[in-house]
Amino acid sequence: MAKKIVVDPIPRIEGHLRIEAKLGENNVIEDAFSSGTMWRGIEIILKGRDPRDAWAITERICGVCTTVHALASVRCVEDALGMEVPRNARIIRNLMNATQQTQDHLVHFYHLHALDWVDVVSALKADPKTASSIAQSISPWPKSSPGYFKDLQQKLVGFVESGQLGIFSNGYWGHPAYKLPPEVNLIAVAHYLEALDFQKEIIKIHTVFGGKNPHPNYLVGGMACAIDPNRNTAINIETLSMVKKIIEDTKTFIEQVYIPDLIAIAGFYKDWLYGGGLGNYLCYGDFPEKSIDDAASLLWPRGAILNKDLSTIHDVDPRDLSQVTEEVSHSWYTYSNGDDKGLHPWEGETNPAYSGPKPPFEYLDTDNKYSWLKTPRWKNNPMEVGPLARVLLAYAKGDAMITETVNMVLKKLNVGAEALFSTLGRTAARGIECLQTAGFMMHYYDQLVDNIKTGDLQTANTKLWDPSRWPKEAKGFGYTEAPRGALGHWIHIKDGKIEDYQIVVPSTWNASPRDADGNAGAYESALRGTPMADPELPLEILRTVHSFDPCLACASHVFDMNGKEITKVTIT
Amino acid sequence: MKKINVIGLGNVLFGDEGFGVEAVRRLEKQCGDIPDSVRFIDGGTQGLNLLDYIESADTVMVFDAIIPTEYERKVYIYENDDLPAFIHRKMSSHQMGLSELLSVAKLHGKVPEKLILIGVPPHTLELGCGISREVEALLEEAVKEGKQIIDSVLSG
Repeated sequence: MAKKIVVDPIPRIEGHLRIEAKLGENNVIEDAFSSGTMWRGIEIILKGRDPRDAWAITERICGVCTTVHALASVRCVEDALGMEVPRNARIIRNLMNATQQTQDHLVHFYHLHALDWVDVVSALKADPKTASSIAQSISPWPKSSPGYFKDLQQKLVGFVESGQLGIFSNGYWGHPAYKLPPEVNLIAVAHYLEALDFQKEIIKIHTVFGGKNPHPNYLVGGMACAIDPNRNTAINIETLSMVKKIIEDTKTFIEQVYIPDLIAIAGFYKDWLYGGGLGNYLCYGDFPEKSIDDAASLLWPRGAILNKDLSTIHDVDPRDLSQVTEEVSHSWYTYSNGDDKGLHPWEGETNPAYSGPKPPFEYLDTDNKYSWLKTPRWKNNPMEVGPLARVLLAYAKGDAMITETVNMVLKKLNVGAEALFSTLGRTAARGIECLQTAGFMMHYYDQLVDNIKTGDLQTANTKLWDPSRWPKEAKGFGYTEAPRGALGHWIHIKDGKIEDYQIVVPSTWNASPRDADGNAGAYESALRGTPMADPELPLEILRTVHSFDPCLACASHVFDMNGKEITKVTIT
Repeated sequence: MKKINVIGLGNVLFGDEGFGVEAVRRLEKQCGDIPDSVRFIDGGTQGLNLLDYIESADTVMVFDAIIPTEYERKVYIYENDDLPAFIHRKMSSHQMGLSELLSVAKLHGKVPEKLILIGVPPHTLELGCGISREVEALLEEAVKEGKQIIDSVLSG
């Protein structure tokens, strides 16, 4: 009988994810099953509430990016009620969104994903002088002297010797799948720490425009912030110049630290081109230059790619009842008209019905229901969402900036475009995109300043604020491209209250279980065919799953004084 | 003036998980007119986004729902070295909990002089039910303790 391996929970992600993999000959993964084991019942909480409050509740779903749910939610309510937001509000939302993307991608690369490629303990053996000359050969970033790396290495030694690895305690150090020389490991660890410090600055932009962070304020009909160049208590010239400085520093950090590191690290893993998976990609698009309804004005385009065919871009309409659907044939829910019949979110149902084994258990019953995640499909196809989907779509459409950057990265690595369809391609796409969104930050800053100069200070449109002006019944769709992929909110308003609310989050697409036809989800498909050096230490599984930036949000665990939960790997 | 950051942690959607956030809301209200050097932060379930608040004050006071080793229904207060070494809150951005944030602050050399954790064991973690009666009974005491600590730091 084939070997079976269970990794539960997958460490360094938000939420709870379990992977069961079947190993074939030579420890190659034959098949994999992905199970989100925590139930998210936000839809039930929202029923009967004021639609204008939905953003504040939905932004509590996630412990990573509060702002994306707030954005999708206000767009969804505005869509239902036919509200247009003022120009300033559109620009500020785009700026905050670009800020979130940039910060999140940076944090993902260094603090979630890098340790799948970077061996922290190996960095202790590095020669600081060699590290310095490597660093200087790949980037003009000033913190690169031998003394800098030496100091850092000593700090690291102290840290390891104290026995409290803290942030580095959950790694498979010394694993044979790590390929970087000690010096490159040391550079990466140095930048891990610098990025930790730097990301604090980027997100201050949310405090400026959202009033506070975390949980910045949004508003149905616009934004809650006041702009007045001459007033201390509003967004004024002083705050705007602070924002500009942060954006400039961010761009420099991405250009001089993130991108050179990405290319340097990827160069040692060019042979590890596993993890491509489905080859189907879906994007709702984002960054509207005009009204959110004008899909042609989106800087990130909308569309789908099937079977890796970049020559055909399919139109996507998330309002079409037959396109985006969720079924529950392998999920712990029931549908009144059959679990295997996909329902569009406007017709969606959330009836939890756990039928899995009673804990503690060894394996899930993967022939039947095995996940708390529903199974979203686009025209019945399983789809991957996220940076790789977006970059491939923009590349297929010939977007100038993306095409140039993708080609630069491919050339530096000396690999062809087919290398993009891999775990490494996904990781590279995130970096390429981060460079782009740092550019968007400046683009929207300039737009905002230009618009304020015309004398336009309006940030909110309150014409339709009062529910007495709303139709008796209305349906709306709100979307955004969250850092980890296409996010949709669908609302049904009746008599001024939420009648129904459905959310399909990016990780539901990517981590989805099988559908009724037996088609695997994106994680499941991406893990197939991956060889494992040592099944006891499933680094390869983490690499591919982490490359999607999983967020199975809804953090509900309390502060546990009894010690830490350690990932359990079971093999039989 | 000593800087104090008061941070409430937890998810308000899950019953007593929201203890920390609710305690800080009430504490801010009770403190009324207080110097700008004291900041009240609704930390939610954020991890890395809170690093700046940990590193930018002399005193950091955290309110959170906790599961102590000897489970008694009371208010727990830990200060500096009393904080267990392996506190681990599986809640936050990329599993970056308070203990990870502190270890980062240590590496940056920016650990606050005084670190206080005020915790209460949760009674229920059900979705959408608000704070339970059991935890409600301890909330006022937790807030009072917090207020006293703020007053003594400000006057000291």
